[in-house]
Amino acid sequence: MSSESSKKRKPKVIRTDGAPAEGKRGKGDTDQETQTLLWRVSTKLEDPSGICMVPSNPPDVRYYSEESEVDLRDPIKDYELYRETCQELQRLMAEIQELKSRGIKENASEIDERRVQSCVHFMTLKKLNRLAHIRLKKGRDQTHEAKQKVDAYHLQLQNLLYEVMHLQKEITKCLEFKSKHEEIELVSLEEFYKEAPPEISRPAITLTEPHQQTLARLDWELEQRKRLAEKYKECLTSKEKILKEIEVKKEYLSSLQPRLNSIMQASLPVQEYLFMPFDQAHKQYETARHLPPPLYVLFVQASAYGQACDKKLVVAIEGSVEEAKALYKPPEDSQDDESDSDAEEEQTTKRRRPTLGVQLDDKRKEMLKRHPLSVTLDLKCKDDNVLHLTFHYLMNLNVMTVKAKVTTAMEMTTAISAGDLLSPDSLLNCLYPGDHGRKTPNPANQFQFDKVGILTLSDYVTELGHPYVWVQKLGGLHFPKDQPQHTVAADNSLSASHMELTVKLLRSRLQSRLALHKQFASLEHGVVPVSSECQQLFPTKIVSRLVKWTAIPYEDYAELPYTKDVIEAGLAEDTHLYYMALIERGTAKLQAAVVLNPGYSTLPPVFSLCLNWKGERNSSNDDNIRAMESEVNVYYKELWGPKPGYQLLTNQLQRLCMVLDVYLETEPHDPSVEGPKEFPQEKMCLRLVRGPLRLKPFKFNYPQGFFSHR
Amino acid sequence: MALSSPSGGVRRARQLLHVSVLAQSASPCGRFLAAANDFGEIAIFGLSAALSAEAKEENRRAVAVVRAHNGPVYSLASTERLLLSGSDGEIRAWSWAELGRKGCRELWTRRPPCRSSLEVPEINGLEVNQRHELRGHQDLVHVVALREQLPQVLSGGEDGTVRLWDLRTGAQVQLIEVHKYQECSRPQLGKWIRCLATESDWMVCGGGPALTLWHLRSGTPTTVFGLAQPQHHALFHQDLVLSGGVGPALHLLQLSGDVRGKVPVTPAALRSLCLHPRSPEHQVLTVAGNSPKIDVFTNLGYRAFSLSFT
Repeated sequence: MSSESSKKRKPKVIRTDGAPAEGKRGKGDTDQETQTLLWRVSTKLEDPSGICMVPSNPPDVRYYSEESEVDLRDPIKDYELYRETCQELQRLMAEIQELKSRGIKENASEIDERRVQSCVHFMTLKKLNRLAHIRLKKGRDQTHEAKQKVDAYHLQLQNLLYEVMHLQKEITKCLEFKSKHEEIELVSLEEFYKEAPPEISRPAITLTEPHQQTLARLDWELEQRKRLAEKYKECLTSKEKILKEIEVKKEYLSSLQPRLNSIMQASLPVQEYLFMPFDQAHKQYETARHLPPPLYVLFVQASAYGQACDKKLVVAIEGSVEEAKALYKPPEDSQDDESDSDAEEEQTTKRRRPTLGVQLDDKRKEMLKRHPLSVTLDLKCKDDNVLHLTFHYLMNLNVMTVKAKVTTAMEMTTAISAGDLLSPDSLLNCLYPGDHGRKTPNPANQFQFDKVGILTLSDYVTELGHPYVWVQKLGGLHFPKDQPQHTVAADNSLSASHMELTVKLLRSRLQSRLALHKQFASLEHGVVPVSSECQQLFPTKIVSRLVKWTAIPYEDYAELPYTKDVIEAGLAEDTHLYYMALIERGTAKLQAAVVLNPGYSTLPPVFSLCLNWKGERNSSNDDNIRAMESEVNVYYKELWGPKPGYQLLTNQLQRLCMVLDVYLETEPHDPSVEGPKEFPQEKMCLRLVRGPLRLKPFKFNYPQGFFSHR
Repeated sequence: MALSSPSGGVRRARQLLHVSVLAQSASPCGRFLAAANDFGEIAIFGLSAALSAEAKEENRRAVAVVRAHNGPVYSLASTERLLLSGSDGEIRAWSWAELGRKGCRELWTRRPPCRSSLEVPEINGLEVNQRHELRGHQDLVHVVALREQLPQVLSGGEDGTVRLWDLRTGAQVQLIEVHKYQECSRPQLGKWIRCLATESDWMVCGGGPALTLWHLRSGTPTTVFGLAQPQHHALFHQDLVLSGGVGPALHLLQLSGDVRGKVPVTPAALRSLCLHPRSPEHQVLTVAGNSPKIDVFTNLGYRAFSLSFT
């Protein structure tokens, strides 16, 4: 009841020096009454140290504060009091009990007394309970307060700790912080102090403080970079300007090209008028780019030689340029083509199988394939005869061949014996000694030939042309005999060194052949043409006459009995030309077998004589016949006539007639035969016999006109 | 000194086709052979080197070729130290010791007297002896030969006579007109005497007339050798007569007239036979004629090998 209500009530703080709130008086009246009551009760029991006197109130009202009483009382004593009270109560109860048990009336006052006492005890107990509750509450409140304080401190501590941690983190972050400035490459310290102006570098400060130093360096860096950035901008702008200028100029140039073309076109008629065909030459050079290397070397060297030394040499390129271009397709295309053609080939071989022979034939044709372009050289001579040379290049064999043709200024009467002279097959035979052009000069070709069953190139020369060694030299191809070379490449210097000599030889070859041609035409008619310069080599009257002049094949020549010496001496080979002349006087017939070397007239012809007159006499049985032979074979220098000496043959024939005359006329009279000499001596001779060989005088002396011995 | 330019090579090939070796001579030591041709060259061959067992092709070529004369060299003769060569109007002497070396020059040149400048006589025969002017031949003298025992020289010439001269007095001792004797004369070939050889009392001569063996004392022909072709050179050797002439054969003839052998040789006609008595290999005979090749015989039966003029 009241203890319960006192529990519920909030503890009031009674200020000793203040008037309590009047509002609460009403409510607190009952409280106070009880409390006063309790005071009265308790004052009996205890020390009234807990009494608070409220001076302001009327003196009869004493406020009783149990809360403050709690502070004054000792809890242990209160506990003792409680025990005592409980004991008292027990005792009383027991007494009551006892009394009750003994009987009712007598004891009623005692019981009442005891009851009152127990009621008082009960009141004490209640107070004690109240006090205990109040103590408890106070204790709780104190604990609560302390706990709250502790919590507050704890919270503070936590906060502080947290802040400390935070600060520490910040510190570490700060410490770890890499400022971007460290990534900038700064110039080295020495350079910095050298270059930076003093207001930036401030050496006094910066040398001591690294922070200031770094700052100063950064400053300097910044300044420099600014400067450089400005320069860069300037350069960019200037570059832009220049690019624009270039563009302008390019446009200008490209607009120039069509104008130049039109000028070139316009100049063509002028070129023709002045005989300076630049355009034509230019076109030729364009075509020349597609030539294979040896032909190109030949073309270049021949054109150079023609321009420099020989105005009558004309070089041209013939053939199909597209085919030449087709030969050098880029590899991817050709691979595709190959695969396609392989597929095609497979198909065709499945459909129809070509015979081995046809395959071999195809392979041979492939091996002997010519390059589609060819170089032509036209050598013009003084008398307007032209030698046309066409040079081809055999690609797989790496050799060059030549075909020759002669066009003469005038129509020439072809002598029968002269058939071979200008034939394209043999015209260029042995231009250099031993160069007969029947074998391929490239030793590697032999292996290639073996693969496809070609024996020698000579079977194909009519179609392909002759692979002379000088042709290879003109193309710069050199095949050394001793060491095999992997690839022989065209060499300009080789071609250049041979060009002049070869062209001269070609010219002289053509002219000598033409001269011979003319001479043969005359010889076949029995007339030995002797030019006026050579008349002095011979006497005015020569009776022996040339009756016949024919060409004979080499086999016939070899079968003659009196030619064996010449063949043995190596002066008659199958590349030479052979002729038979017949000189007659009266009953005497002189047969002369002539070997004409292709190198006429530097290499003089060789005569072999056989005289049929009173027996057959030739060089083996008659010294004089031998002497006659040596007259034409050995002493030919004076018979060359005027340069270039193409009259050698005719002079030799004339001399033969002359010495035959002398021979026949100086023959000693045979006393056993009757009648006068068949040939009376008309030639003037000093001595008829000289020397151990008893030779006749065959040498003609001009202008005295007599014959003597050598 | 052989010609070496290419045109020279061309000319040389043709020359060699027509060369005739006109005379030969053996060196005093017997190891060399000198051969002269009608182009004025004298070639020296190392004979003993060519005859040795290890002879190679180079040994068969001339050791040296000397351009001796401008005209043909008609005759050669050899003394102990000198080689004499006779050409158109001049005789040149060469020292044997120097002939093998380059740039050899003649020691002396003599020109025998000639009557007119147009006819420069050729020196056809040379024999070593004193000089006299021996007049008598009507025509050119082809050959001279010395007699061994008597101081006489024989000469044969174009006029068909063989004359004997006394060397001391220079007078003609004997005259044999060969062509007048019918056994040997062959008028169709002429009367010229080209070859002459003598041994003691015997003489063999021939040319136009047939090769005949004569007895000198009596001056009569004893044996006529039946060789159809005119002979150019004849030698006495042991008991044989060796002769060569027109026709590629060396004839071995016995004094009785039988033909002992006819050995084929390379030249078409022989002009000169040369015996080498002083050669270490005995019985070496070299023959030469209308060919650049000179045949060497070690045995008279067959040709051993040939030396060649280059």
